[in-house]
Amino acid sequence: MKLIVLAPEDDNHTAPIKWAMEKAGQKVVCWAGLSWSEEGQSSLLMNGDDTLVLGGHSVDAGDVIWIRRPEPPVPNPKVSESDKKFAALEYRSFYHSIAYFLETLPVWCINRYSAARVMIQKAVQMRLASKCGLKTPATLMSNHPATVREFFARQNSRNICKGFTPHVWQKEGKMSVAITETFELGADQLPNDEVLTYAPAIYQERVPKEFDIRMVLMGNHIYSYALKNKKQALDWRQDAGLGHVTAELVPTPPDVEKGVLEFARQSGLCFGSLDFGVDAEGKWWFLEINEQGQFLWIDQFNRDARLLEKFCAFVTSPQGSTLPLEARQDLFPSLEEYEELLKREQVPPTARGRTDDPFLSMEA
Amino acid sequence: MDNDNRVLTRMGARELTEQEVETVTGAFKTRRTLTPCFVDSKQQLLNGDQAIGECGP
Repeated sequence: MKLIVLAPEDDNHTAPIKWAMEKAGQKVVCWAGLSWSEEGQSSLLMNGDDTLVLGGHSVDAGDVIWIRRPEPPVPNPKVSESDKKFAALEYRSFYHSIAYFLETLPVWCINRYSAARVMIQKAVQMRLASKCGLKTPATLMSNHPATVREFFARQNSRNICKGFTPHVWQKEGKMSVAITETFELGADQLPNDEVLTYAPAIYQERVPKEFDIRMVLMGNHIYSYALKNKKQALDWRQDAGLGHVTAELVPTPPDVEKGVLEFARQSGLCFGSLDFGVDAEGKWWFLEINEQGQFLWIDQFNRDARLLEKFCAFVTSPQGSTLPLEARQDLFPSLEEYEELLKREQVPPTARGRTDDPFLSMEA
Repeated sequence: MDNDNRVLTRMGARELTEQEVETVTGAFKTRRTLTPCFVDSKQQLLNGDQAIGECGP
């Protein structure tokens, strides 16, 4: 068995996990995604004995494919201007063929591409979560001004607004940025109708939360961490970056655990990061799941979490195993050890820059 | 910021000062850069819970 990671080697989660797996004697290869360059080339042969090769690495029975964060397909820039659109579409179609074809092979995909594509849709998540018995806030996704106003006119309602995707606006020539964040919005703060059509948004009943939960799902295993910040900010993400948040392991209520495992079963996801808000009565409200969400940062905030080791134990266990990951986590080194090597520049740096980030806009 | 024709989500965005951006920039130096919203303006990178590929067509 080998682990094939669909992500650049310097992705900030791929690099430490590859290092930890290799330290434990496991074979790991990375494929950054489909591109014209030699390391990005792929072949899918169906001729009786079907084979798939990703950047020179054959996909073999028993392999584990972690579809972490492949880069979008990159066509050869030298292609004729007249053929650029066609080539781009062909690259995209071929990538989809590869990603879906993986599901038909005797390999374990974390996660299956078809499940991931459906479950990144926040509307689908909310509906399935509710169906699985998880508590969800009233939610409207809309660009229809009258419906938005009607939603905000619900009696005694407090609401928030958030985007479907994150985004950063950077001022020209400056380092300061503005970043999308969940924010409270009152009916009297709604802008004029035209603004509501500039971009659709998610409007949601404000969960009266006392604190947040970041939950990590690894197969049949669930780890929940209470995130508390002194500022009690509505959105803890930037506060986490600024170090104002603590992450403490907490037990998952049995009904929530049951709901999450049912959600995983029905969605087909075996891995993901989930967010909940916990109210004063101790009720857990499902907010969202990111099937390839960040999780190693919890190890940075709470050294006892050992999610890096648990993830390595997870991907080297048989698919669907119910044995505790803790039983095998000691086979792998820790993130702290990796960070020490990184500080001493004994492992390559992570997170190279992108010149074309679709999540970033410049503004005057 | 001229709010006349900006999207609502931009109006509710959190402004991070240069100092705050520096705090969450710099790979593992601050030990917090794996967080679900890691802005690296030096590298023009937003690294978070959602991947770029997830949001593409």
